[in-house]
Amino acid sequence: MHAQSMSHAVPQARAAVLACLLLGLCGVASATGDGQTPSSGAWEYLQREFYPDRNLGLLDEHFMSLEAPANTPDPAATPLTLRFGDAAVGHIRQIRVIIDNNPSPVAATFDVASGARVAEIGLRVRIDRFTSVRAIAETTDGRFEMRSAWVNASGGCSAPPSTLTAGSLGEIRFRPSPDGRSMLISIRHPNNSGFQIDPRSGEPIAAHYVSHLRFSSDGRTLLQADTGISLSENPSLRIASDQPLPAPIAVDVIDSADAHFTGRWGGALAGNAAGSAAAGAGGTR
Amino acid sequence: MQHRAIRPAARCAPFPHALSWALIALLLQPGAIATAGAPDFQLQQLAPGVFVHIGQQLALDAPGHDDIANIGFIVGTRCVAVIDTGGSVRIGRALLAAIRQRTRLPICYVINTHVHVDHVLGNAAFAPERPKFVGHAALTAALARSRDFFLQQYPEDLDQPPSAAQIIGPDITVDQTLELELGGRRLSLRAWPLAHTDCDLTVLDNGSGTLWTGDLLFRDRLPAVDGSASGWLRVLDELARLRVTRAVPGHGPIASDLSMALQPERRYLRALIDGVRDQLARGGSMQQAIAQVAAAEQPQWLLWDSTHARNVAHVYEQMEWQ
Repeated sequence: MHAQSMSHAVPQARAAVLACLLLGLCGVASATGDGQTPSSGAWEYLQREFYPDRNLGLLDEHFMSLEAPANTPDPAATPLTLRFGDAAVGHIRQIRVIIDNNPSPVAATFDVASGARVAEIGLRVRIDRFTSVRAIAETTDGRFEMRSAWVNASGGCSAPPSTLTAGSLGEIRFRPSPDGRSMLISIRHPNNSGFQIDPRSGEPIAAHYVSHLRFSSDGRTLLQADTGISLSENPSLRIASDQPLPAPIAVDVIDSADAHFTGRWGGALAGNAAGSAAAGAGGTR
Repeated sequence: MQHRAIRPAARCAPFPHALSWALIALLLQPGAIATAGAPDFQLQQLAPGVFVHIGQQLALDAPGHDDIANIGFIVGTRCVAVIDTGGSVRIGRALLAAIRQRTRLPICYVINTHVHVDHVLGNAAFAPERPKFVGHAALTAALARSRDFFLQQYPEDLDQPPSAAQIIGPDITVDQTLELELGGRRLSLRAWPLAHTDCDLTVLDNGSGTLWTGDLLFRDRLPAVDGSASGWLRVLDELARLRVTRAVPGHGPIASDLSMALQPERRYLRALIDGVRDQLARGGSMQQAIAQVAAAEQPQWLLWDSTHARNVAHVYEQMEWQ
């Protein structure tokens, strides 16, 4: 048993108040019920970088929500779920997931193809220390929506690799939901952050991570993402729609060593095969 | 003596000097500080020469979190074996003081049942006794992985300033089994495959039929899965076949019927595995799994909230690739 979190509620609240006063974000905070998570230097920098002069003013939880556990069950694989409401499905162009206090804050940038009806995106991320996690969506009509959540966790980037031996590098598994509207995609990859130590040798482990993902059907890209060291070991992506997903589905993965992996799912729903249709890894380099 | 004003002093008033000297004497003896600092350190004698201190069922971040594991010792005619040392050097010293109230025999072995903080951080209290530290063959590596974490998360549970050297690993490791002779009594140690952790070790005192299970058995407190839930179930099958008089769990009350005492833990682990398998078969997310898996078990266990989500996450990450 390991303790994994302590309450830092007081400094957190103080920081939020400061952010509120200094950045004039008070109105945003109260309007969304979501602005309690403190700002940070990293976020202020990234906001200037990606969203200069943008109003990240928001609609409400029905448009987009971000689910993150306040106390993570695993700092190295903290589950995040982004959900899009009826008004948002089909009208999202891009989503960035930012973890303010991670060494590489931009965890993933998802580009949604025009017309793709993405209702939910789930992923698992490393959390290095207590932080705000943000999702910023750009709509097809050029508006920006942001949701954030505070996560109590530490050590996710330096956590030692798991001792899991099953599966092979680049293997991709598909697990559709019984109604065919969601797909859990599991990618066997160490996704080494560059901040881990090999417990046997004591030597640092070089960064080796999934850098790009493409989710397509019959050659048509539905969703792709640029990703980095903030994804968990064995990255997981769960995509849901408000309609049955198309079939067949292909997932193409490129990693930081420029290895390419491909997994394909033919269309059999869960219940036919025991849980998943596995797909082989493609060639490398 | 202004600071005395903050304490009710009525009963002390007649003996101010005597008390001061007593306090100074206590402060000069580290061993005595521990006893003074833990006046409630209770011991039970389970059988002649077999003593256990029952830990409290508290969360790992609660006050008193260093005293949550069951720890104890066994006395032979030649020497003493300690089994787990508690979650702080302070608790380790309280255990050492309790031993010294009962015997002057040397402490020849300090056995750690696994790597977790609540069982090993008291090791440093025993270093001056020059025992052999004993653990599972994988304990050395497990401690190497944990030292930084312990130093960051539990610095106040070590002597100040905290140092990695206080987190003591084994001198003698156990691959499969090992017999230790204490004089007139023989301990049988057994190393187990991946279960609660990757370094679980049990200790059987053959004379009294007392099995120390370490955290392979949690009673009342929700089991924490840090190794493999399915591996743990296999180990429970083997434990259930052992004929012992009593079992000392890692957490919770002493069990007189081991096989019966294993049942709740077996039921929870089974529900955990079946639930996660079902979620994965339906393409469920980790969050859905945390919310739904084994939910019916919740009323049966203490400290559910702090541990169950971690268990589900751990099993989910493993089963995703089975």
